[in-house]
Amino acid sequence: MDATVISLPLPALPEGWEAEKDFRAIGGITKSSATARTLEPVGPHFLAHARRARHKRTFSEDDR
Amino acid sequence: MGDSGTRLAVDPNDRVTIGISFGNSNSSIAHLVDDKAEVIANEDGDRQIPTILSYVDGDEYYGQQAKNFLVRNPTNTIAYFRDFLGKEFKSIDPTHNHASAHPQESGETVAFTVKDKAAAEGEEEEEEPAPSTLTVSEVATRYLRRLVGAASEYLGKKVTSAVITVPTNFGEKQRAALIAAAAAADLEVLQLISEPVAAVLAYDARPEAQISDKMQVVADLGGTRSDVAIVASRGGMYTVLATAHDYEFTGVALDKVLMDHFAKEFLKKNPKAKDPRETPRSLAKLRLEAEATKRALSRGTNAAFSVESLSDGIDFATTINRLRYETLARTVFEGINRLVESVVKKAGLDVLDIDEVVLVGGTAHTPRIAANLGFLFPQTTRILAPATDTSAINPSELQARGAALQASLICDYDPEDIEQSTHAAVTTVPHVANAIGIVSPGPSGEEVFVPIIPTDTAVPARRTVQLSVPAGGDVLVKVVEGNTHIKVTKPEPAAKENGESKAAKVEDADEDADEDDSDFSDEEEEEEEEKREKVWKIGSTLAEAAVRGVKKDGKVEVSITVYADLTVVVTARELGGKSAVRGTLPSA
Ligand SMILES: Nc1ncnc2c1ncn2[C@@H]1O[C@H](COP(=O)(O)OP(=O)(O)OP(=O)(O)O)[C@@H](O)[C@H]1O
Ligand SMILES: [Mg+2]
Repeated sequence: MDATVISLPLPALPEGWEAEKDFRAIGGITKSSATARTLEPVGPHFLAHARRARHKRTFSEDDR
Repeated sequence: MGDSGTRLAVDPNDRVTIGISFGNSNSSIAHLVDDKAEVIANEDGDRQIPTILSYVDGDEYYGQQAKNFLVRNPTNTIAYFRDFLGKEFKSIDPTHNHASAHPQESGETVAFTVKDKAAAEGEEEEEEPAPSTLTVSEVATRYLRRLVGAASEYLGKKVTSAVITVPTNFGEKQRAALIAAAAAADLEVLQLISEPVAAVLAYDARPEAQISDKMQVVADLGGTRSDVAIVASRGGMYTVLATAHDYEFTGVALDKVLMDHFAKEFLKKNPKAKDPRETPRSLAKLRLEAEATKRALSRGTNAAFSVESLSDGIDFATTINRLRYETLARTVFEGINRLVESVVKKAGLDVLDIDEVVLVGGTAHTPRIAANLGFLFPQTTRILAPATDTSAINPSELQARGAALQASLICDYDPEDIEQSTHAAVTTVPHVANAIGIVSPGPSGEEVFVPIIPTDTAVPARRTVQLSVPAGGDVLVKVVEGNTHIKVTKPEPAAKENGESKAAKVEDADEDADEDDSDFSDEEEEEEEEKREKVWKIGSTLAEAAVRGVKKDGKVEVSITVYADLTVVVTARELGGKSAVRGTLPSA
């Protein structure tokens, strides 16, 4: 999917905010907050997903 | 696909492919012309081809010609058989076969007995050829052979392979039986795909379509069944969240409403005549014409009903207007609305979560049904039906088109490629339960959630957004999880006694709809409604990142990728800027 343009601003960086390489990891997605479901094996985007899954390729490798 | 059973395999280089929708009432065939799916008209000029076979003097008729024989040759006419494939006799519903060849038990399967052979020539006149008992698989094979024949004739080359659509509740045995029946008709089934997904694909494959994230209701309203599915459409990938199947609020039920109406009107004018519903032949005529009148009422606000020798040799002609029809058919229309509502709930969603309602199937042409669904959902929900959206695709063509598109996508695949790509190891994947997004300052300083990856998105997934930085300078990209709830604001207590708001109706429809006799549409304006809105709630914070020195009126692009193991990678950079901030969040 192309980038979606959102007409909203980003907040200003709070005074004194510091982090190594400007990135601070705080949490992560928990296994319990993901549900196993079945994708319909239909359409070009699914087939691209299947190709990546079968050849263990990432999105960026796929883009090239 | 995992369907066992006899299957035909054709060398990909030799394939000629089509898409087939195979319904109990009608079927369609489609192919691709310059990447655009088109439904093929058969020799009779029909694009909706009745799923019926009829035998007369050893000749086989199919489609509309066979349907017409329901009047004069019902016992040798086989109709409404698709759902019997792969089923045992005791588990089928023969309701719709009363006026044509009756299904019977035949070992593990269902069969029909018809006279499909001609009397041998030169023999004694009386010598009737023995009737044949045809299993439902044989019937399906013969019917598919006719569809493939029509497509081959149209394309000028022999069709070898097809993608066929099936309902979401078509079991493994039914799938296997269909594949085997196709193989016996010399047709390779590349893949069976589910009907609602085929319909959605037909829309998404249009050149002007924008692939986006949206929650869809697919309401497939056919002749003998109404099937509804909730589809989470995420970047062109589809996950069915819930389904419901109904056999009561259907096209056939609408025919029945008109049949009763016209029969009564006939009897009023001809009090001594026999009720046309009491003789099979009159009933068959009544049914055919009532259906034609019903279809005409989708196009115009008035329609004629005219049958020669309807009963006791009396001709009958009359007209009906759409309003009258809509009043008579109200129970059926309301049943359809309740069905749709129930599936939304079953998926754990609210009507406010639905972005699009895709109407599919012949009955979806009915303007009132589309309008009623419009009243069920908020105004922002798109109702994709001919009566409510001029850009809607013909609901009778969606499935065949989707099947043709899928056929063209996989026509170069070896059977093993198809098998592997559709295997559970590839299709069954984690879907995020919470949305992932970032935070933007709202007008009064509060934090507003901006979803980037919506709920029910399959992983791996990647989404990219661009936000503005009007003032320039250093900005914060705060990545959080989010979820929605429905906020209800009660109206001021200028109380109404017996009026109920649309919102309350949505919640209590199951109890109320039967008793409530005011019309769906009329209630809308007069009342002060409870205000219901979907609001985002910000959950746990996943990460923070800084993008520094953004120029005034600059833009920042944020990209979030969730991998199969639920690892999240965030990147943020100024658009046109060189360096990006990037970080990884292992699954917690
Ligand atoms: N223009 C129309 N307006 C209203 N109803 C229509 C129209 N065209 C077709 N129908 C009705 O649609 C029904 C057939 O739907 P469809 O062609 O989707 O069949 P199907 O999927 O084979 O049905 P099923 O499997 O549920 O029996 C019939 O009841 C028919 O009368
Ligand atoms: Mg159907």
